[in-house]
Amino acid sequence: MEKTLPKKSFPQWVKKLSSWNVYVPRKDEEGRWNYVEADGGEVSLDVLQTTLSPKKILFPQREVFLEFTKILAGDRETLEVKEVLPVVKPTVIIGARPCEARAAWMLDEVFSGEFKDVYYWKRRDQTTLVGLACTNPPSENCFCTSVEGSPHSEEGLDLLLTDLGDKYYVHSLTAKGEKLISAAKELFEEPKPEAKKQVKAAHAESEKKIKRQLKDARPIAQKLKGMFESPLWDEESMSCLRCGICTYLCPSCHCFDISDEIETPSPLQGQRVRTWDTCQFPDFTMHSSGHNPRPDKASRLRQRLLHKFQYFIQVYDKFMCVGCGRCITLCPVGIDIIKVLDKVRDHGA
Amino acid sequence: MAKIEDLKEEAKKLLREGKVKYIIGYGAGSNGWPAAPLFIKKPEDMDNLIWDPTCVHNLVRFLVDEKRRKARQKQPDKRPVGIMVKGCDSRALVVLLQEKFIDRNDVYILGVSCEKMGVVDDGKLAKKLAGKKAKRVEVDAQDRFVITTEDGKIEAASEELLAERCLECKANFPVIYDLLSGEKTKRPLDKPFGSLEKIESLSAAERWSFWKEQLDRCIRCYACRSVCPMCYCDECVVDSINLAVTADTTADEKAQRIRWIQRSAESSENLIYHLVRAIHLAGRCIDCGECERACPLDIPLRFLNKKLEKEAKELFGYEVGFDPALPALISCFRDEDPQDFIR
Amino acid sequence: MELNVYTPQLAKIVQTKDEVVGARAIKTFRTEFANGARFDYRCGQCAMLSVFGKGEAMISISSSPLIKDYLQFSILRTGRVTSALHEMEVGDLIGVRGPYGNGFPMDEWRGKNLVFIGGGIGLAPLWSVVRTALLRKSEFGALSLIYGARTSKDIVFKDELAELKSQMPVHLSIDVSEPDWREFVGFVPTNVLEKKPSPANTIAITCGPPIMIKFVIKNLKDLKFEDEQIYTTVENKMKCGIGKCGRCNIGFHYVCKDGPVYSWAELKKLPQEY
Repeated sequence: MEKTLPKKSFPQWVKKLSSWNVYVPRKDEEGRWNYVEADGGEVSLDVLQTTLSPKKILFPQREVFLEFTKILAGDRETLEVKEVLPVVKPTVIIGARPCEARAAWMLDEVFSGEFKDVYYWKRRDQTTLVGLACTNPPSENCFCTSVEGSPHSEEGLDLLLTDLGDKYYVHSLTAKGEKLISAAKELFEEPKPEAKKQVKAAHAESEKKIKRQLKDARPIAQKLKGMFESPLWDEESMSCLRCGICTYLCPSCHCFDISDEIETPSPLQGQRVRTWDTCQFPDFTMHSSGHNPRPDKASRLRQRLLHKFQYFIQVYDKFMCVGCGRCITLCPVGIDIIKVLDKVRDHGA
Repeated sequence: MAKIEDLKEEAKKLLREGKVKYIIGYGAGSNGWPAAPLFIKKPEDMDNLIWDPTCVHNLVRFLVDEKRRKARQKQPDKRPVGIMVKGCDSRALVVLLQEKFIDRNDVYILGVSCEKMGVVDDGKLAKKLAGKKAKRVEVDAQDRFVITTEDGKIEAASEELLAERCLECKANFPVIYDLLSGEKTKRPLDKPFGSLEKIESLSAAERWSFWKEQLDRCIRCYACRSVCPMCYCDECVVDSINLAVTADTTADEKAQRIRWIQRSAESSENLIYHLVRAIHLAGRCIDCGECERACPLDIPLRFLNKKLEKEAKELFGYEVGFDPALPALISCFRDEDPQDFIR
Repeated sequence: MELNVYTPQLAKIVQTKDEVVGARAIKTFRTEFANGARFDYRCGQCAMLSVFGKGEAMISISSSPLIKDYLQFSILRTGRVTSALHEMEVGDLIGVRGPYGNGFPMDEWRGKNLVFIGGGIGLAPLWSVVRTALLRKSEFGALSLIYGARTSKDIVFKDELAELKSQMPVHLSIDVSEPDWREFVGFVPTNVLEKKPSPANTIAITCGPPIMIKFVIKNLKDLKFEDEQIYTTVENKMKCGIGKCGRCNIGFHYVCKDGPVYSWAELKKLPQEY
C-alpha cells in the first residue's frame, strides 16, 4: 500500500499510535541524537545519525533470562529455576534508517535457526520498524551502497517513509506496517502520480550522495579467505585501544555474555542475565587454562573484519556490515574499516 | 603552534641510526577527524608526521601497549621508543615515571609546544561546521583557527574552539623532553579549575542526581579506561575484561576472584565503576581529557577526575605530573597533611 | 513444559568420584534428571552444566548414549564454575541443557578399526565413543587405546582402564618416569609413534590439550594416516552453546554448533585459531 502523509500531520499520526510504545530519534541539549520513547514529546524526523542504533531496543544491553532461588523446605534445600520472558508492549520505532533495519534483518538470521532465541523474538515480533529513507547521508562515513544496502532499502522494514519536502511518501511493506496507517487513516492521502515520480527521483539522487565507497566488497570478501596470516592485521591494529566502541555501537554486532548475578547469597537468590560483550575485549576468548586463541589486537581486529566481511557471507551470503560508519566516526584513534579493507583489496597488487 | 620541521629531522636521524625502535606520533586521520596516532618505523615515512590543533590524542597510552608487547616477547628489543608529547601528555609521562611503570631510558621524548594555542574540541568544531567535514585545521599568524572544508575556509577565534581543558591549561609546553619543538611561551591562566565552578555550586542532592543521570547513559564500553595512560593495571578492580589468567593461575585464585561489579550497565554498577575509577586516578590524572573525548555518549567524565586533581592541590599542595623526581602522591605523606578526619 | 533454549533442566547428582586429587583435580559426576526428562544424545556431544549463582560450563558427555539411566561428566577443576561443581555432593541439584554439537559420526566408521588417543582430561570426551564402541563391538573392527597423563596420579578412569585392558589393547604413558611405572615414559604423541597404529582401514580419534593434538596429528600423518582418517574434538570458551554469542568460532564455524568434532580434513580448512 502506498500513501502520502503531509508533514504537518506527522505529529498527529504519532499521537494516534497511543496503543504502541513509540520510539523516535530525539536530540538532547548537547545536540546528540538517540532513540527515546516519544512520551508525548516533540517528534521530528529532521535527524542525523543517532549514536546508539535501534539494536538496543530489540537486543538490550541487559536481558534477564531466568531467576533462581534456593528454597528451604523443612530441612531440605531445593532449587527453583524460573524462566523470565520479557513482557513487551507492541512497539514502533519511527525513523530507523534503512541500514539499521537491514541490521535488524541480520540479527533475525542469527537469532533464528535450530535454536530460536525466544527473548529476541518476543521483542522483535512486537516491533514495527518505520524507516526513513536517507535523502541525505546521515553521516560523513556512510557507505551502505558498498555493502549491498541502499539509502532507500526496504529490507527489514514494515514501512518506509521518504521525505518529499512538504510530505512523506509512505510505502507499507507488511501487515504490521498497514496497521499503523489504519490507526490514523484520515491523515493519509492517495499518492498523486507527481509524488510517485518524486520518490523515484529522490531515491536515485540519494544513492549518488553517499560520501564514501568501498570498492569491490565481494572480491574483498573472497580475498580475505587467504589473508588470515597477513602482517596487515598487526599494522592496522597498532593504535587499537581494545575498548568496545566499534562493536557496541554497531547495529549488527550481537556478541553477548551470560552471567549469574546474585541478589542475596544466602539463601541464594539471583538472576541469569545476558549482557553485551565484544570480541575486542582481551578475555573474550580466553580459556580458563590461560590459553587465548586471540591473544593480541591483531587477531581481534582480524576477527571483527572477517566476521563481518567473510564468515557471515559464508553462512548467510550477506555482509554483516551495513555501512553506517559509526565505528569509523566514533573510534577514538581513527581506525577506519574502509581504509583497512582498501588495503586488503590492494594487498599484493 | 610549533612548527615541527626540526623535530622531524631529529626523528628521522634517530630511526636511521637505529637509536629508537619506532616513533609514536600523529598522522593524517580518515574518519572525519583530521589526525590519528601514527607509528613510524622507517625514516622515509617521517614526512607523514603532522602537528596541528587536531592532534588531541594522548599518545602516552601507547607506552603501556609497548610494555605489554615487550612482556610477551622472549627476547624483547630493549631500545627506547620515540614519542611525540604535548604539554599535557608529558605530565602523564611524568606520572608513569614517578610510579616506575616505565624507565626514563625506555622513551625518547619529542616534545611539541602548543605555544599560545591548544587543541580543538570535536563537539565545538562540529557545531561550528554545522555538518561540514573538516579537512584541515591550522593556526594563522593572529592565533586564530583556520578550518579548511570542501567548501572553503572558515575562521574562528581560539576561545570558540579550544578544548575546555586547554582553557585551564597548566602546561602548554612539555615539562620533560629530549627535544622541544616550539617556544616555551608563558600562558596567563585566569581560573585554574574554572570548569568545575558550575558543578561545585550544585547542592549534594543536585550533584547526585546529575551524575546518576549522566552515568545511566553509560554502556560500559570501557573506552574511558582503555584510552587512559594511567589505567594500566592488568587486573582492574572494576573491570572483568582483563583477568590476568595464565597457565600458573590456580583454580582457587580464579574461583575466589571477587566480581566487584556486574557486567550489566545498570545505575548501581555504572556508578561504582566510574566513582572507583576516579578515586583510583586521584593524584594521578593530569586532565588530558581523553576519557571524555573517547566516550561515545559524551559523559562529562573530566569533571570527576578534575575535581580530584583540585583536591590533590588543595589538600596536599601536590601538582600532579610535573616533577619526575617527586614520589607519586599516594605513596608519600607530609607531617602537615590534613588530619581532621582522624578522631 | 517446553523450555526455551537458554533454560536448563534440573538434574540431581547421583554419584561422584574423585579421579585425580590435588592441584589438577578431576571429578566424575553422574546425574539424573529431576523430572525424568528425556535427553537423547550422540557420542561427542556436550552439555552446558549450570551452577546457579556461579555460571555455566560446557562439558562433554562421557557416558554412552546407549545407557539411558544417567549422564556422566568428568570435570577438571579450573575456575569458578568447575570449582563450585567440585564442591557439590550427591543429592545436589545442577542445571543441564543440551545436547549440543555435532557428535562423532560413528555410523560412518562401521567395519573400521578404531584407535583412541587421549591425553589428560581429553579421555573424557573420548570415553563416550569407547563405551559405545564396546557395546556395539560387532559393528567395528579392532579397538585400541593410547592414553597418557602428566603423572600416574593424573590418569583418569583408573579402575575402568584396568578393566578395559581385558577388552582391548590399552597403552598408557606418563611424561616423566616414576619408580613403579612399567609402561611408556614420554609424551602421548611420541607413544603414538612408538606403538605405530596401522592406518589400514582405521580411524584415529584424538583428544587432549591443543599442543598434544597438534603433534598427534602430525605423527599420525607421518604414519600415513589420511586426513579423513583422523578425528578430533576441539574446545573453545563458550557461553551460549548454541552458536549465537559469537565467542567460540573458528572461522565461520561455531565450535558449539558446527563442531566440536572435526576430521583433520575439515579442520585444516578452517583458520588455525583455536
